Amino acid sequence: MAIYRRSYKPYTGALTATWSRWLVLFRYARRNLFRSKVQTVLFTICFFYPLLCLGGIYLAHNLSFLAQIGVSGNLISIDNRFFFRLLAVQGVLAFLLTAFIGPGLISPDLANGALPLYFCRPFSRAEYIVGKSSVLAITLSQITWIPGLVLFAIQAGFAGPRWAWDNLWIAGSLILGSLIWIAILSLLAMALSAWVKWRIVAGALLLAVMFFGAGFGQAINAVLRIESGYFFNLGYLMAAVWTDLFRIESEQSLSAGDAWIALLVYCVICLGLLVRKVRAYEVVR
Amino acid sequence: MSTTAQPAAAEGVTERPPAAAPAASVIQLEALSVRFGKRDILRGLTADLRGRSIGLLGPNGAGKSTLINTLLGFYKPVAGSARVFGRDITKETRSIRRMIGYMPENDAFISKMSAVSFVQMMGELSGLPSEVALERAHEALFYVGLAEARYRQIGTYSLGMKQLAKLAQAIVHGPKLLILDEPTNGLDPSARQRMIRMIREIRDTGEMRILMSSHLLRDVEDTCEEVLILKQGQIAHYSDLNQERRANRRFLELETYGANGDFVDAIERLGCECAATANRIKVVLADGVETRDVFRLAAERQVRIRRLNFRRDTLEDIFLKAMDV
Amino acid sequence: MKDRIVFENVSKFYDEILGVNHLNLSIPPGITSLVGPNGSGKTTLMNLMTGLVKPSRGQIYVLGCRTDDPENLFKMVGYSTQFDAFPKGLTGFQFLYSYLQLSGRDSHTAEQLAWRAIERVNLRNDAGRNIAGYSKGMRQRIRLAQALAHDPKVLVLDEPLNGLDPLARSESIALFRAAAELGCYVIISSHILHEVDVISDQVILLSNGYVVAEGQIQTVRSEIQEHPTQILIRCTRPRELAAKVIESELASEIAIHNDGRGLLLKTRNSDNFYLALNELALNGIEIESVTPADDDVFSVYEYLIGNEEVVR
Repeated sequence: MAIYRRSYKPYTGALTATWSRWLVLFRYARRNLFRSKVQTVLFTICFFYPLLCLGGIYLAHNLSFLAQIGVSGNLISIDNRFFFRLLAVQGVLAFLLTAFIGPGLISPDLANGALPLYFCRPFSRAEYIVGKSSVLAITLSQITWIPGLVLFAIQAGFAGPRWAWDNLWIAGSLILGSLIWIAILSLLAMALSAWVKWRIVAGALLLAVMFFGAGFGQAINAVLRIESGYFFNLGYLMAAVWTDLFRIESEQSLSAGDAWIALLVYCVICLGLLVRKVRAYEVVR
Repeated sequence: MSTTAQPAAAEGVTERPPAAAPAASVIQLEALSVRFGKRDILRGLTADLRGRSIGLLGPNGAGKSTLINTLLGFYKPVAGSARVFGRDITKETRSIRRMIGYMPENDAFISKMSAVSFVQMMGELSGLPSEVALERAHEALFYVGLAEARYRQIGTYSLGMKQLAKLAQAIVHGPKLLILDEPTNGLDPSARQRMIRMIREIRDTGEMRILMSSHLLRDVEDTCEEVLILKQGQIAHYSDLNQERRANRRFLELETYGANGDFVDAIERLGCECAATANRIKVVLADGVETRDVFRLAAERQVRIRRLNFRRDTLEDIFLKAMDV
Repeated sequence: MKDRIVFENVSKFYDEILGVNHLNLSIPPGITSLVGPNGSGKTTLMNLMTGLVKPSRGQIYVLGCRTDDPENLFKMVGYSTQFDAFPKGLTGFQFLYSYLQLSGRDSHTAEQLAWRAIERVNLRNDAGRNIAGYSKGMRQRIRLAQALAHDPKVLVLDEPLNGLDPLARSESIALFRAAAELGCYVIISSHILHEVDVISDQVILLSNGYVVAEGQIQTVRSEIQEHPTQILIRCTRPRELAAKVIESELASEIAIHNDGRGLLLKTRNSDNFYLALNELALNGIEIESVTPADDDVFSVYEYLIGNEEVVR
């Protein structure tokens, strides 16, 4: 009979590829996402509208069915407005999902000083930020431009290559519009998560930035009788960009170019805030 | 960590003689200087440390944490250089970090993760494949003594357990150098004893070198072979404790019952110097005087010698002397 | 008794949670150490002693004064807690000054006393800085200063050496010793047993809310009957010495050390053994060291408390 004693042994096996380390953060954050019932349900709900749109596309190409149930004519037209509406609805849902996922990304690491443990390993700050934001980026993509493109492809299947070629720009706008919204949401959520130790407060702040920002912007415009109050209204800025991307006429007074610049400024500010906070040691003066 | 078949060892008072300090250098500092804004925190540190376990001592603000952070690559030196296992800290930061396990002084954990997930994630971030990281996480937690609690969330742990979890994440990826910053902080006596024992075990198996920073001289004395004492950003003293212990043994320390001034006088009459406080007596033996002479005097006076040992400077003496430099 | 701190059958329960139970203590002047694992009731005991918490049962008298008489109690007692929290925005000096004013001193006296306390803990250079900028060791020292600023007769200190570097440790220990010499009652709780061993006059061991042992360490040790004293002797010819010890019938167990240069023995009569050792040392056996393997706080702790430990 042999007696086995546990002892410490070093590790001499293979290591994973250096570039893929950020994926570790992605996997763990995704695991957390689906552990939460509320978040899983919300994620599922995000697919309802695209499914509805799918039904709409089908109906639009099967007028006989419509005739059967007694509705006539061209009720549903699949055009740029159709995809604009898709993006708008999914955009709102994306914001909600971010409010749930975002705050829990960095706050738990900060709350108990776990950041040095990340950076004492062959793991850089850039990888950390990429890894954490990838959860948001990929999850939000799954509910915005990816279903959008699928719907576009299905519509193209029904309507034929001519239609697809004429409307290819819509696909491009879908992707670009989604990406800029995802970028803004991700950076904002992570910046808040990095500066606030408690998840709930970070979540509340995110909601506040959106809603109070809107209110504040309106108030400034009314009181000072200027237009630049819209800078504080993220939703408004995004809408301005989207209406431009989807070539929809709007009565808004803000030009798309200004909106783009404003959004870019937001991104830069959030990125700066993030970089300032995500480091291995506290800088104390 | 893995299971190996070994014949069951006999229980007994075990004290392995320390192996000779191996030749390869662990940490080399050459005129290392680090600055924060306008303040010089480390000024021109030069040392070559090779022991299995290195102690880092010094008053608050001497630069111990800064030195550790610099070796980890968090700070860039403004002058001079440093090498860990021969690699330059500015040029090969990533590969050095692969070889280091770090146990910070402050709280460092993620509250809602279980210990196993936490240690596994840390292992994966150090490059271990996912299944290997899971296995080693379990092993590390067994090794540090958290076997029963490893599925619970770390936020529910007591302070001692959090320290052990910190240690587990530091060793999971099999580093070559373990950096411990105040490892026994806040631990109660049993937990402290366990931690010190574990550090000694790690030192004795020889697979990992240890750099330990602590305020408790006793802990450093019990575990370290070399000691670096910092003061105001410079090296106040370097000590090889093994050499100190082997050095000239003419200093004797006694604890007695029933001794009075008479006993001390008698020792002094033999030509030895004596210093007595309460019931502790320090004696410098004169040439030709042996311990049996002290026993003889004790026998004559019915003095019970509870404790007797040869003592070179304890670490406390060395430290206090270094502070006055 | 007017010259002791007395606990008369004191218990404290927090709802269903046991803080301490059946506490009967009479603490003399000098340095008394409280030792025990986390959660054993040390902080509860200190809170009871300083009147911050009311006992569920029993009475506590500090030098004759009841603990529910805060006016008189706080003149005599100074308390330094283990918690690292301070009012925001104060400098070290302001912290002490406002505290002294609160305890009824006029501004001139308060200032004097504050500076004196600052000198005693060696914080003169940093007294004007905001506490938020202090290092851990400095915060510890300012807490200590606050406890002794008003010259109390009773100092209750919860882990006062936590975070201090070796120099500051020995300075603080010297401070405690000085206070003890003046007749103060210094109650210290600590986890560092070898320091407790060196500085205490008496020791109180707590475990799970009960007092497990109290008194001077050697007396406590000699009362632990089930564990005979263990002594480690390093010498050149251990087997010869072992034979002689067996002959003398003073040891119940003898083991030769693994490295062959010493022996470990257990005896129930350590006094007589030491006397006999004086003789045994004379006959050609070179004794290099004598070490009581368990005659200190640490062993007492291990015997009485240690085995109840699981990693909690």
